[in-house]
Amino acid sequence: MLPTITVNDEKCKEPISCRKCLLICPTHVLGLGTDVGPQKFREIDPSHFIVRAVRFDKCSGCMDCVNVCPQNAIRVSFSGGDAR
Amino acid sequence: MCDWCEKYGDGYERWYFNPANYARRLYKIRKEETEASGAEANPQAAGGMAFVGRDFLEARERGDTAEVERIKQQIEGAMWLTHFGQVITLEEALKITDIMYPISLITCACRRSMEGLPDDENFTCMGMGAGMYKWERWPDTYRGGVHFLTPDEAKEVLTKLNKRGLVHSIYTFGTPYLAGLCNCDYPDCAAIRTAIDLEIKILWKGHYVAKIDPELCNGCASCVHRCQFRALSFVPNRNKAYIDQLQCFGCGLCATECDQEAITLVERASLPALANVW
Ligand code: SF4
Ligand code: SF4
Ligand code: SF4
Ligand code: SF4
Repeated sequence: MLPTITVNDEKCKEPISCRKCLLICPTHVLGLGTDVGPQKFREIDPSHFIVRAVRFDKCSGCMDCVNVCPQNAIRVSFSGGDAR
Repeated sequence: MCDWCEKYGDGYERWYFNPANYARRLYKIRKEETEASGAEANPQAAGGMAFVGRDFLEARERGDTAEVERIKQQIEGAMWLTHFGQVITLEEALKITDIMYPISLITCACRRSMEGLPDDENFTCMGMGAGMYKWERWPDTYRGGVHFLTPDEAKEVLTKLNKRGLVHSIYTFGTPYLAGLCNCDYPDCAAIRTAIDLEIKILWKGHYVAKIDPELCNGCASCVHRCQFRALSFVPNRNKAYIDQLQCFGCGLCATECDQEAITLVERASLPALANVW
């Protein structure tokens, strides 16, 4: 069964320095992306990084990511709900 | 024959031994394409490390094989024009360092995405060719900077990464322009993961298939952890390693670890059932 996994970007401010959910997930479901396109001559500011469940086909529903997140930013649902 | 050798080999034994595929003139094509496609070309765009959307996974879950096949072909078709890879052996990777120039050691975009790996721990990727001279235009793609290497230094790095257990593969950036020599592992490499978990061919199998000589294998099992492709296992009752040749990607990592020389790489083309399995 496929889960719906959402991350609240307002709560997860600097995932590149936190990355707790990335490291705890037993099946490496979560990954970092950015909410801006490529920028010439500029490094993307850490505040533009976001966490997404890029490999949610491998989510077991263990909830470790939900529990480890210090910002309470992650929701994992197996009963439908909001699209990711 | 491998499609890419047929199309772009131009008489060379492999398409990635053909120097024309590293030539600067191809880089220009790539640049226009990349800029035309805008934000999507950013390897780190949200979710960009995964090549598939929910529609594919849902179709797979409900067993809609026609829809799965349709989406799969659509993704593969697009990727084969722009950015895909093929597994190569350490020997082949070493040979490539004498064909293309410049060679640079850069941070890995996949591991940055999937592990959030700090730059100083993440120098496992190699960029090459004309595009590298312009790396400063894209500081984010090259987070952590760029170390230009001599061919000898590149060989040393590749050998070390092989020892660590990483798979070598060569990538196009605007096919057939070859500009990436990646050193990957499952599950954080987007291409290996997509090939293995979703059976979408963003990474092609290599030109070899590994084979175990049961006479020489002493059952030490030290090769078993080397396989990133679920092709290698261990048969306790026979006390021998086992390779599923239909699943083998031909990376050769198992062979470089076996001190009994029990594993050899045979040409894929020499095996009738596998000659066209990529
Ligand atoms: S654990 Fe929470 S705050 Fe930390 S990166 Fe993950 S989602 Fe963001
Ligand atoms: S619920 Fe468990 S398996 Fe699913 S994403 Fe979170 S940590 Fe990973
Ligand atoms: S490393 Fe060589 S000898 Fe040891 S199990 Fe593997 S094939 Fe056999
Ligand atoms: S069996 Fe050996 S050569 Fe084949 S994919 Fe696994 S490690 Fe690579």
